[in-house]
Amino acid sequence: MTLARIMAILGGLVLTALILLTVVSVIGRTFNGILHWEWLETLAPGGTKALLDAGIGPVLGDFELVEAGIAFTIFAFLPLTQITGSHATVDVFTSALPVTANRVLIAFWEVIFAIAMVVIAWRLYDGMLGKMRYNETTFLLQFPVWWAYAASFGAAAVAAIVTIYTALARMVELASARAILPDTGEAGH
Amino acid sequence: MSDFEIGLYSFPLLLVLIFLRMPIGLAMFAVGFLGLDMVTGGMLVALSKLKSETYSTFSSYSLSIVPMFLLMGHFATLGGMSQALFKAAESFLGHRKGGVAMAAIGACAGFGAICGSSLATAATMSQVALPELRRYGYSGGFATATLAAGGTLGILIPPSVILVIYAILTEQNIAKLFMAAFVPGILAALGYILTISIYVRLHPESAGTRPPMPLAERFRALIDVWPVMLVFLAVVGGIYLGFFTPTEGAAVGAFGTGLIAWVNGGLRGKAWAQSFYATAKSTAMIFFIVLGAGFYNGFLAQTRVPQELSEWVVHQGFGAWTVLIIILVLYLVMGCIMDSLSMILLTVPIFFPIISVLDFGLTPEELAIWFGIIILIVVEVGLITPPVGMNLFVINSMDRETPISQTYSAVMYFVASDIVRVALLVIFPGITLFMLRIFH
Amino acid sequence: QDVTLKMHYFLPEQAIVPKMALKVWSDKVEAESNGRIKIQHFPSMQLGGTPPQLAEQVVDGVADIVWTLPGYTPGRFPSSEVFELPFIASDPEATSQAFYEYAEENMLETELAGMHLLAAWVHGPGVIHSKEPIQTIEDLNGVKLRAPTRVTNEYFGELGATPIGMPVPAVPEALSKGVIDATVLPWEVTTSLKIAELVNNHTEFPDATLYVATMIFAMNEAKYESLPDDLKKVIDDNSGLAFSAFAGNVMAQGDEIGRKMAVDHGNNIIQLSPEQVEAWKAAGAPVEENWIAEMDGKGMDGAAMVQQARDLIAKYTK
Ligand code: NA
Ligand code: NA
Repeated sequence: MTLARIMAILGGLVLTALILLTVVSVIGRTFNGILHWEWLETLAPGGTKALLDAGIGPVLGDFELVEAGIAFTIFAFLPLTQITGSHATVDVFTSALPVTANRVLIAFWEVIFAIAMVVIAWRLYDGMLGKMRYNETTFLLQFPVWWAYAASFGAAAVAAIVTIYTALARMVELASARAILPDTGEAGH
Repeated sequence: MSDFEIGLYSFPLLLVLIFLRMPIGLAMFAVGFLGLDMVTGGMLVALSKLKSETYSTFSSYSLSIVPMFLLMGHFATLGGMSQALFKAAESFLGHRKGGVAMAAIGACAGFGAICGSSLATAATMSQVALPELRRYGYSGGFATATLAAGGTLGILIPPSVILVIYAILTEQNIAKLFMAAFVPGILAALGYILTISIYVRLHPESAGTRPPMPLAERFRALIDVWPVMLVFLAVVGGIYLGFFTPTEGAAVGAFGTGLIAWVNGGLRGKAWAQSFYATAKSTAMIFFIVLGAGFYNGFLAQTRVPQELSEWVVHQGFGAWTVLIIILVLYLVMGCIMDSLSMILLTVPIFFPIISVLDFGLTPEELAIWFGIIILIVVEVGLITPPVGMNLFVINSMDRETPISQTYSAVMYFVASDIVRVALLVIFPGITLFMLRIFH
Repeated sequence: QDVTLKMHYFLPEQAIVPKMALKVWSDKVEAESNGRIKIQHFPSMQLGGTPPQLAEQVVDGVADIVWTLPGYTPGRFPSSEVFELPFIASDPEATSQAFYEYAEENMLETELAGMHLLAAWVHGPGVIHSKEPIQTIEDLNGVKLRAPTRVTNEYFGELGATPIGMPVPAVPEALSKGVIDATVLPWEVTTSLKIAELVNNHTEFPDATLYVATMIFAMNEAKYESLPDDLKKVIDDNSGLAFSAFAGNVMAQGDEIGRKMAVDHGNNIIQLSPEQVEAWKAAGAPVEENWIAEMDGKGMDGAAMVQQARDLIAKYTK
């Protein structure tokens, strides 16, 4: 649980950084436009030039940074979603079933989820190796794409571990009939 | 089994799994993965695809608007802004039966004017409006259904991601499509408000009410809303005046609400972390569904089920209107299990050439725009039609106390309002086209 | 035996290249194989993923045939970039043939490993589409401009523009909202993006080519090798240098359609004088030098690559 929370905060901090970066870029781009206004350039030619030379303008490659950062953020958000059972489900039919049947289903899907997350993390690792091998870079900043993959893979690996833990916990819950994890919303709610 | 049959049988399988409480995103992902294995004769293709598919789905620039707007919603709540907003709306409308729900629809429409995605609109507005609706004694089913329907305004009112995709597929002018979408979008909002007033008349127990407030108090409540208005105007104005793209607008909005919440003292230590947790849960849930839908639709495209189904429709030799109605019904049915963007991507390239040679008494450009707006609406109805409606899931999962069956039964009233609207727009193309005709 | 091949690309089926080149190719292959080869088109990324993933998809066999732009994955196809340097290309038909021969000689075993190259071509000359008229390099000062490739991005940055990165489909909205003031694209692409309705000025470089982007049309190598010899021959007969030239010519036809739309719309088409073009060319020289140095850094002979590209373009230019 603590691990999942730490990942969520990490993801949240990256998201906040992306928001700040985007805001700075928007402000930079707007001021860059203003500094190119003709009357301002005639009014204070040296001033506008100096500010422009100082790099007042949009953040180079802001789109790319948002893309790389948001991928990490989503992967970092997965563990908490997993452990709190926050994935969207349809309980319209299962709510008619007994509580035990629902617990069996929840535990079973959690096991499938664990397999899926392990496969996702493993494939992402392979994808990262491919990006390394082909030396792919981003368009503007030209940083290696595998860096972004590596960050996402780190978060995906944690997500896989947390999902395995969640699956095990659900099975123990099933066997011992006591709650370990927060409620996912039991049958008949 | 032929590929086509595999694709066809995947529909019922998916439904069964989802009804067995398998998480939606996981179900689509798993069916897509196994289906792809069957069609390609091994796991190799699916595993290769997976090398980059998760990263490319999660790193989408246009979807990054989702967590930003979600965070903005949490910040707004922390800063007391959503309460202020609803106090204002409630002070004017709360004494009416269903008034707060109507205010929520209005807020969704306003939000739709800055956001191109239904999911983002539904999720953000629920964050703000759901607790308030529940506090005013609205039943869970009615409250969630109202917000699920309100969420579709995110894409009906321009800007709209789906319209951009349609414009590119059919080589139409984006600005004209946006302009044409405006009146039907407003009609949608009015239709929902009418639906609410009918619903509360039929189910008086589902919404609370109280005596009207004095006018002075109403205006005092209105003044408390100014920070929200400021952020809102900065975001709307910024996007329309060209200072930034919608995603940048979301960042500016999140920044603005965060700043206000900070100043108001609502954003300290624990609260900050709580807003991250809440954003994390909704964001990862939404993106996992997007991932699953992408995987499932990639598989479905390969079986050619959508393509052959559409071609079959065309080769029956029906008249223009019959073909149109069959296509619309097909979209409604597909909308029960597919996500809207994938539906557009798969079927418009097949349907559009057919529709464009049929005679509806319109010029080619008018026909293209009219058809685009109608399928946009029909596809969006799919977001709220049971059993699989993206908006229904997203909002229902935010209200843990309400079983989805209650949301299902309440949302049918809004679906009915949608169907009436589609019928009107089909029968009278002029409703969609009159803005265009005026400006030409 | 019979084979079904999945062809995957990012544009819709009715766009110029799919309609006038890819469909023509697959119809001919299907006919000449007497129906033993069947080609299914998956336009608009229907099989999933994003355009930069197409190269990976054909190597991994997720798709059997793809049409893609090497420029989508910077760093992966460094040597194709030589054709994208400022003012190196000539008309698309000749440059396409030059690029195909160059790719065949230099890229098959390395950058195109895992792919069977069917054809390689380039689009028509890049044109500046802008809200305010652009004639001189000074006019670019502070203009927020979306450049299409890694190299052109550097070029316009050096000329004083503010380069803004975004995917092509985002360009129309960005132009209409004023997020960008100008975009650089060949005429052909402007048709579907309706650029002529969003800007009033188009700057052309007569008898010179500002830039082109390279494109490859490739098949999964294992899939190709698995075909019986007679079917391989059907594929071979329709591919290679001749089809590359044909596709290059399609690009030129596409340019005419796009240009005509701008003319019909009453837009201002600026044609730079030879002296003006010289100034723009001179400004491109440092970009070429940087690129050569960059290739040298990767252990490739940048200068020789530029020379070979120039020679091949000259060879095919009539
Ligand atoms: Na919208
Ligand atoms: Na639905």
